[in-house]
Amino acid sequence: MKKHILALLAVAGLVTLACGSGSNQGAQGSTIVLGAPLGLTGSLTKESALTKQGYDLWLDWINKQGGINVNGTKHPVTIKYYDDTSNANQSAVLMQKLITEDKANFLLGPYGSAATATDAAIAEQNQIPMVEANGAAQSIFNQGYKYTFGVLSPANKYLQGVLDMAATLNPKPTKIAMLSADDNFSLEVAQGVNDYATGLGMQVVVYKKYKNGATALTAEVQAAKAVNPDIVLNSGHLAEAIAIHKAAKEQKLNAKIFAYSVGPSTPDFIKSLGKDADYVYDGSQWTPQVKYKSQFYLSVSDYVAAYKAKYPGEGDPDYHVAESTAACLALQRAIEKANSLDAKKVRDALAALDVTTFYGRIKFDSRGINTFKPMVVEQIQGGEHHTVFPSDVADKQPMYPTPSWDQR
Amino acid sequence: MTTSQRWQRILIVLGCAVIAYAVLAPLTSLDGAQALNLPLLTDKLWFRLATITAMFVVMATAWNIIGGLTGYAAFGNVAFFGIGAYTTGMLIAKAKWPFLLALPLAPVAAAIFAVLVGLPLLRLRGHYFAVASLGVGVAVGELVQNLDYRGEPIFGGASGLFMPIFAVPNRDLYFFYLMLGAAGVSIAVTWAVIRSRFGYGLIAIRENEEAAAVIGVNTTAYKVAAFALAAALTGLAGGIFAQWNVFIDQENSFPIAYNVEMILMALLGGTGTVFGPAAGAVVLQLLIQFLSGSLPITLDLPFVPEDAMPVLAQVVLGVLLALVVIFAPRGVIDFFGGRSRLTIAYLRRSLRETSI
Repeated sequence: MKKHILALLAVAGLVTLACGSGSNQGAQGSTIVLGAPLGLTGSLTKESALTKQGYDLWLDWINKQGGINVNGTKHPVTIKYYDDTSNANQSAVLMQKLITEDKANFLLGPYGSAATATDAAIAEQNQIPMVEANGAAQSIFNQGYKYTFGVLSPANKYLQGVLDMAATLNPKPTKIAMLSADDNFSLEVAQGVNDYATGLGMQVVVYKKYKNGATALTAEVQAAKAVNPDIVLNSGHLAEAIAIHKAAKEQKLNAKIFAYSVGPSTPDFIKSLGKDADYVYDGSQWTPQVKYKSQFYLSVSDYVAAYKAKYPGEGDPDYHVAESTAACLALQRAIEKANSLDAKKVRDALAALDVTTFYGRIKFDSRGINTFKPMVVEQIQGGEHHTVFPSDVADKQPMYPTPSWDQR
Repeated sequence: MTTSQRWQRILIVLGCAVIAYAVLAPLTSLDGAQALNLPLLTDKLWFRLATITAMFVVMATAWNIIGGLTGYAAFGNVAFFGIGAYTTGMLIAKAKWPFLLALPLAPVAAAIFAVLVGLPLLRLRGHYFAVASLGVGVAVGELVQNLDYRGEPIFGGASGLFMPIFAVPNRDLYFFYLMLGAAGVSIAVTWAVIRSRFGYGLIAIRENEEAAAVIGVNTTAYKVAAFALAAALTGLAGGIFAQWNVFIDQENSFPIAYNVEMILMALLGGTGTVFGPAAGAVVLQLLIQFLSGSLPITLDLPFVPEDAMPVLAQVVLGVLLALVVIFAPRGVIDFFGGRSRLTIAYLRRSLRETSI
């Protein structure tokens, strides 16, 4: 029977596929199944791992409490993960699998704007609520979808906090040089600055776009230096932020404020720039120093401690971790408020949700995005991250203005 | 009747049964069947998997026309997929056309583009053509994302394009049949091409382009026509994909990985044949889906922690593909139809053929 083994295998595969379904049809168990496709392999591995940490941190906690309370009964929770190989199209397949095969009651978001956009359409067509923490692009929320909720502040707010802070400083900076990578998220951040600056009496005097991932940014920094700006803003990612800061030093671009959307909050930024990293600001969804009064779940300091206990050696939790945990909290509170596991009722409860957690306020606007939480501003002071704005959650005053390069 | 003929019959019958089941069973998957809890074909996951598989059948079969029949290793066909997707996407999202009116323009736009780039590119041979076509594939995606007009992105830029969710009853069934139809069309087109004067011309070009020119084949016209035909079919798949997926952007409409996958599928199934690429697409897509855990059957391996499964899956996929290319260069379709059998002798012969 050595013949046609391969051929037989192929047919057998099809037949198995055709027969092997219909699992999970048993009686409605008391376990609540949540699901999320994440990039466990591929280009988004690092961010996906942080997202998973955030989800798992909550999962441990809620199951230690016995589960989510619905009508006096505690329902334990499981989260089903799949590897979407960091591919948005595969994320859609796995979302559908979570819904149909695994009978997921509710969905947690994948990592990345493209996957989130695709999965939002799937959630909508299946009418299963998806709470996501990692797709800040507003376009997702402008489609009139009813089943997608994002706990993060939208992209256009990322650097607005820095401008709000700048407006309170003396002497007040007015001239802005705006540099931006050309990906969706970064452009929305830059657009947010362009729209917001004039209202505060500031002007964007130069606006330069560059290719996402570029690290040869001397020309852009030169263009910024030519207008002698008070504020240098970048919306991009870690590698670009480092490149810009290095180029600024080389070319002696002296500004009162250097603020970068993403990058300074990660340990790598300080590691690769050393003392030069001082005085740099960034806009962050969350920092481990914020002082929000948590209405349920852990306080900020307990959260940081719980993270360090579960993931020793990784330092403080990153904001990706915190926002992912916050997505779970929003879902948990909505299920409790709805007092039901019915998808429609939980959706309505999500839409009406208004709570303050360690992560800040969670309340969704009519589009389903959390526009009610301010971005916080961090500054690197003496090689350490400190939260400097808004002042009611800050732990330090901003060190302003940034001294010129030859005086540090 | 020899054994191989008997096997051939059994396989044909089995194949027909599988196809009939795939085509007809979804019809039973409507409310009545759902209430009865019939397996698999009643669920939306199956539709998504089947639609994605059919999509790859189109792409691999279309690639075969330029890559397999004509012998030009096009590495940038994903550009046509993306152009098809963005043609329907733009017409629906910006011009507010109805989907069914926008869809026919997807293959047209892709074919026109193929003629334009084909005229210069198809003068290149071998590696030069492969690399140049890959360049085109990447460049088109970048252009689509970055072209601005007065500061506004023309094609939705990095935000991509959202279309309204297509309002039709049994949406999943609808798109499955549409994509299956596109797969049927591409196989039928290949079948017709292989039996035509045009097809003989393409094969002549593959075997020896100078000789083909000497015997009177207009090689430039033939090559460009083959390229455009492949582009049109790939563009059609892209057009359907756009509305099916609702959201398109550079990442999901121009995935570089699809370039490689469609070629692997054609190689796996058997290049230059009618059904080979389709068979390769089904086998490889099912394998990819199985390894990524989206099939209803799961695999628990001893000694492998659950966390390591995704990584292991990628490794297994790579090794399998290398083995197939080394040991079964004519593709799995070679074992169907009684031409060859999978024996040790076959593997040794293949190894001799693929080695230098």
